[in-house]
Amino acid sequence: MLSVTDVHVSYGGIRALRGATLHVKPGEIVAVLGANGAGKTTLLKAISGMVPCTGEILFKGAKRPSSTYRLAGCGLCHVPEGRRILANLTVLENLQLGAFSRTDKRGVAEDLERVLTLFPRLRERLGQYGGLLSGGEQQMLAISRGLMGRPDLLMLDEPSLGLAPIIVKQIFDIIREISSFGTAILLVEQNAFKALSICGRAYILSVGEIVKTGAREELLDNQTLIQGYLG
Amino acid sequence: MLAQQLINGLSVGGIYALLSTGYALIYSLLGFSNWAHGEVAMLGAYIAVMSVIAAKLPFVASLALALAGAALISLVNEKFFYRHIRNNNSPTMFLMIAAMGLSTTYKNLIVVLVGPKFKYFPQILPFESFEFCGINVGVLDIFSIVVSLAAIVLLDVLIYHTKFGLGIRGCASDSVTAELLGVNVNRYILIVFLLAGGLAGCAGVLLGMKYTVYPSLGNVALKAFIASVFGGLGSIRGAILGAFMIGILETLVSAYVSSGLRDLFTFGLLIAILLIRPEGLLGKSVEQKS
Repeated sequence: MLSVTDVHVSYGGIRALRGATLHVKPGEIVAVLGANGAGKTTLLKAISGMVPCTGEILFKGAKRPSSTYRLAGCGLCHVPEGRRILANLTVLENLQLGAFSRTDKRGVAEDLERVLTLFPRLRERLGQYGGLLSGGEQQMLAISRGLMGRPDLLMLDEPSLGLAPIIVKQIFDIIREISSFGTAILLVEQNAFKALSICGRAYILSVGEIVKTGAREELLDNQTLIQGYLG
Repeated sequence: MLAQQLINGLSVGGIYALLSTGYALIYSLLGFSNWAHGEVAMLGAYIAVMSVIAAKLPFVASLALALAGAALISLVNEKFFYRHIRNNNSPTMFLMIAAMGLSTTYKNLIVVLVGPKFKYFPQILPFESFEFCGINVGVLDIFSIVVSLAAIVLLDVLIYHTKFGLGIRGCASDSVTAELLGVNVNRYILIVFLLAGGLAGCAGVLLGMKYTVYPSLGNVALKAFIASVFGGLGSIRGAILGAFMIGILETLVSAYVSSGLRDLFTFGLLIAILLIRPEGLLGKSVEQKS
């Protein structure tokens, strides 16, 4: 599905990502874990073409398009850090914009119904401005908006950021549910235990390099590793 | 008397609205006041007047030419100037300075190419005014109201009721996110410049018909800019509302107080609005939680 090989990103003189290599197979949940500043968000931005990078990024076996706006149409949705809800558009308009590159009206209507069933809270708020939602509702909207593109791969950047534990639990349950429909998920998280509770495999990123990768159980057993890199 | 002044106010307001919506569109996408916008209108007026006087084209053809020409000039401003400044990651202030430079350049270019003298449209409409329910109605005013209202309604439908408009509002709200969701932001910005330019060209022609055509015709766009601040910078509907308010206020003040005090009232109202409601009449201060 996604294959990233030896990707480097520099901001000015600072090398934020030094040779990251990873892959995501269809239908799996893969987590990228790491402390603040490890390069997690940069990795997703490189995949989406939001920052210039070197290396090879293949999506569904082909080079991913160089323009960011074409990605959604290819089936790659990136739910950015901090949710980035369009504050002065309504909840419904935010969702419609999520389906912007699609032309199948009926499919879009089905998907709208599907995300509103996943997140009933949003249904009550369809006509409200996105900026007026609570943090948890905004995260739900951001994920739903990503799903409206009917992605084959959904990239989530810190969905737990700034949310109460009970909301985090709800969101992670739903991420698992989304994956059960067959959507592959690349999850970037600081909350390592939470992420390891739902993912199949994980990569650990530290100061711009992938230092460890393995199946969920393998990483969970390795307490020293988790404490060392993730705190 | 009052009805007559109101018609006059609506006609001026409609012209302001053609310009203020362009300011609002561009501000909402790029966050800067496009000071060359008035000159786009002025150039549109010149294209129309010269094609009527010199090329003897029929009026409708010259109007179409003016709209297309103004839209194209606006596009050139974006494609060859503003875009490069944005790509350099320069502060927004640089865009405003570039726009001022373009404004001065266009004014002087016209002085050099066409000359500083006033140009007049020949009599185009069949007669100047008619009596209606005891009031004397200017045909040009009615023409101008009809044209500007039609353009404004079309724009409003486009922005608020189409997928294209959703894309524009998405870019205006957060262009990075809109791009991630599949909006080709640079293309949308270009189209917005085309649209704003066409509207400005239309305003320029109407202004030129109402008054005359001269190199600093574009200065009137300052009023339209105020109208868009008035309505809430970046809000299209606010810009329309503000334009009609200023148009009507100006004609009423000119008629009942003094035409010399007209600008005092307009700018006074601007200051009052900025003090009492700095986000403008329809401006929203919805901020994103983080």
